[in-house]
Amino acid sequence: MADDVRERILQAAFACVARYGLAKTTVEDAARAAGLSRATVYRYFPGGRDQLVREVISWEAGRFFARLAAAVAGAPDLPALLEEALVFAHEAVESHEVLQKVLQTEPEVLLGQLTVDADRIVGLVKVFLLPSFEAVALPAGAGAATVADYVARMVLSLIESPGRWDLTDRDQVKDLVRTELLAPLSQV
Amino acid sequence: MTMAPIEEAPAAGPPEPAQRVVDAALRCIARWGLAKTTLDDVAREAGYSRATVYRMFPGGKDGLVQAVAAEEVRRFFAGLAVVLDGAGTLEELLVGGMTEAARRVQGHTALQFLLAHELGAVLPHVAFANKAGVFDAAGAFARPYLERWMAPEQAARAAEWVTRVLLSYVACPAEDVDMTDAESVRALVRTFVLPGLRRPAAVDSSL
Repeated sequence: MADDVRERILQAAFACVARYGLAKTTVEDAARAAGLSRATVYRYFPGGRDQLVREVISWEAGRFFARLAAAVAGAPDLPALLEEALVFAHEAVESHEVLQKVLQTEPEVLLGQLTVDADRIVGLVKVFLLPSFEAVALPAGAGAATVADYVARMVLSLIESPGRWDLTDRDQVKDLVRTELLAPLSQV
Repeated sequence: MTMAPIEEAPAAGPPEPAQRVVDAALRCIARWGLAKTTLDDVAREAGYSRATVYRMFPGGKDGLVQAVAAEEVRRFFAGLAVVLDGAGTLEELLVGGMTEAARRVQGHTALQFLLAHELGAVLPHVAFANKAGVFDAAGAFARPYLERWMAPEQAARAAEWVTRVLLSYVACPAEDVDMTDAESVRALVRTFVLPGLRRPAAVDSSL
């Protein structure tokens, strides 16, 4: 029940951020959009506006990675899973209107929060990838957790900024996954 | 943003006036941050009059900040070049370069102040789409060194990949990796990076 109310507030706050941006979203806006009183919002987010805005970023980041996990769930093997993840996540970042708008107009709070969340986000992706690495032969001296951590970091780096890679081009993504990304498995 | 520690500035003779102002600005930023540093503070710290500093940096504080950033990037790569010039193998090049880069970032007191207290002054310049600028600068610098061991196309790929690895572990440290420790970086390079660089760039269908 409490979780439902929390979720409802975050959903409403996200809708406010989409309309007004991070800086202009207030507790009052979120309360009105959620159909709740200000006092209720403060009960769940005692830190007020700043806490609500920070948590909305973490909440949407969590949803983003849940969508990513669902999108790659059917992949037949590890290289295919990583390919699908890169293609899907790149497209999802590019077409995420709220993210793109905030990056253009008010990146400071967003990037600050993503930096605070970086450990958790690497952890999310790592835990998701871990079973795949437990199922394949690994290079000497490196455990599945270490390899999964490395690959998670590089996947996140590519999602954030593709650099020289065109992540809409399947052939390039295949090459990238099998050459750079899965390099640690190539010596086994 | 990549900046070298001020104490490692080229030590040949007394610094040029502009360098003296840049160094004074770095000390101010390390002490109070960017937002609270004024051109007056920097002039006082450098031992110049306000008018002299304004004459040197007609763009005011913004112009000075840009000059400081450009100078620190220059010093960062100059310091890195000393290490890379001495590398005898590809492994030494990667280990030496990454370790030195991480040490320079962590030892840069002005940059560390900003990362701790004024993230907004740094992050937007180096995140998401703007990370392309970091890849470009790092690539232009590292490619000629990497080309001693690989074809130009592969060197460009490798430069970007190594930059990604470095940025990830410096920005978000892993429990078991210390990027300022050469042996820790060597393990990372041997296990994760080198195998990718030594393979042909073509798709390996056996994987």
